[in-house]
Amino acid sequence: MIFVNHLSSKLPFDEAPERQPESPARRILSVSELTTEIRNLLEERYFDSWVEGEISNCRHWQSGHLYFTLKDQNSQLKAVMFRTALRHLKFTPEDGQHVVARGRVSVYERKGEYQIVCEHLEPHGRGALQIAFEQLKKRLQDEGLFDQTRKRPLPRLPRKIGIVTSLDGAAIRDIIKVLRRRHPNLHLIIKPTRVQGDNASEAIARSLEAIAKIQDIDVIIVGRGGGSIEDLWAFNEESVARAIVKMPAPVISAVGHEIDFTIADFVADLRAATPSVAAELVIAAKEEVTSYIESLHNRTQTSTRIALQQATRQLHSLDRRPGLTSWPARLASYLRHIADMTHGLRHAGHERLNNHRQWLHALRHRLEASGFRRTLSTSHTRLVAADGQTNSAIKRILQARDAQFRVLAGRLDNLSPLGVLARGYSICWNADRTVIIVDAENTSSGDTVRVTLHRGELSCEVK
Amino acid sequence: MKKTTKDFESAIAELEQIVKTLEEGELPLEKSLELFERGVKLSKFCHNTLEEAERRIEILDERGELQEAPETLKLTEESDSEKKR
Repeated sequence: MIFVNHLSSKLPFDEAPERQPESPARRILSVSELTTEIRNLLEERYFDSWVEGEISNCRHWQSGHLYFTLKDQNSQLKAVMFRTALRHLKFTPEDGQHVVARGRVSVYERKGEYQIVCEHLEPHGRGALQIAFEQLKKRLQDEGLFDQTRKRPLPRLPRKIGIVTSLDGAAIRDIIKVLRRRHPNLHLIIKPTRVQGDNASEAIARSLEAIAKIQDIDVIIVGRGGGSIEDLWAFNEESVARAIVKMPAPVISAVGHEIDFTIADFVADLRAATPSVAAELVIAAKEEVTSYIESLHNRTQTSTRIALQQATRQLHSLDRRPGLTSWPARLASYLRHIADMTHGLRHAGHERLNNHRQWLHALRHRLEASGFRRTLSTSHTRLVAADGQTNSAIKRILQARDAQFRVLAGRLDNLSPLGVLARGYSICWNADRTVIIVDAENTSSGDTVRVTLHRGELSCEVK
Repeated sequence: MKKTTKDFESAIAELEQIVKTLEEGELPLEKSLELFERGVKLSKFCHNTLEEAERRIEILDERGELQEAPETLKLTEESDSEKKR
């Protein structure tokens, strides 16, 4: 048995004189007796010792106890920590950690080994909390819980907002203040929760679960105002992290601590430095989508206006073609109205369009009363004539113009050129299909003419 | 149209598609105007949906029931500045 360890320097052995063997008489002890004496000696002397060293050979037993060796450059000390004491540790002891252990030295008589039974361990240098933080962080990170791919975007439609925090702190007031100032029409559901002290982490986790049960929650803010690392500790606990991960809607962590991140920050969908910032983020998401919708709205109008202008231009260019010189004045002014309305669309909302419609509706009645239909009929025939020359362009224009008539002046589709042909009219062309023959004087006997019917075309000889 | 978040998102998606189609400019005019009308309707729907959320502050109590929040929480600017020492 060797009784040397680096603690013993302070120990004057001779302070226990009653246990000193009497030197003159020869006294023979059994192994057990000696061992027991040694044990008594050690336990009495080292019932509460502090020792510093590095952990090695660390083994967690199934019983829940932890066995390890504490060592420094020259010596080793066997150590055990029982399950009941381990439970109170914030961190998990691991090989290589430099720790300060507090406990009693005892002897395992069956093996003749002495060991320190640790009541408490704390990391040397870094605090226990720090180590616990890093260990949990690494574990959750390895599970993929910090992955960017897990992060959900904030809802574009934040209507119901769940808030888990204390009613006593500044946090809740800050959040309400920001939300109400910028967007009063939000529905806040607050779950009052103890956010520091014993079991605060369980309380937070339970509150999150309760909020998760509320229907249609769009986003959750969980947090508290600033404080010391101990005050904020609940947000570094695994139970809170797990609860955040399970939330059905995006979670913003808002632990008032500008610099450090909590575990909650890492697993949350979004991290806000303070509760006020969390509220600002919710609103920013809403404002962003509001202006996005506005821009989509404007683009709808702009592109429609461009399409209308283009169609109008096509009609005007058609207007100048030889053979189509005399567009009816009414139609021209009608086109001007279309152009005006098109221009107006830049700022027009839906109601504005409706007003235009009503106005155009009235206009239509007036036009009809003044024989506009007949005029249009003629135009249609002329357009069909032009078809031979500018087939594809005209088709496009016809579609465009048809659309304008339908939408802007009511449904006039029964006047389409095909409709005219269907009613038995036909169109007589020269042989090349370049000119419509409207006067019999323009043909001679023996000429070939083409006649367009509702279905098909005839080739005829003039007699 | 029902105003759930899903409807809201699908309205935005449809509106995006309409804008894209309109901006490509290859549609007959009549179709363009139909889309325009639909687009205006959708953007209005989105806008209304965004604005129509309730103004309410509620407390979720221990029994999982919702209670109206106490007046002290529905603070005004004044009561809030008093609160700060």
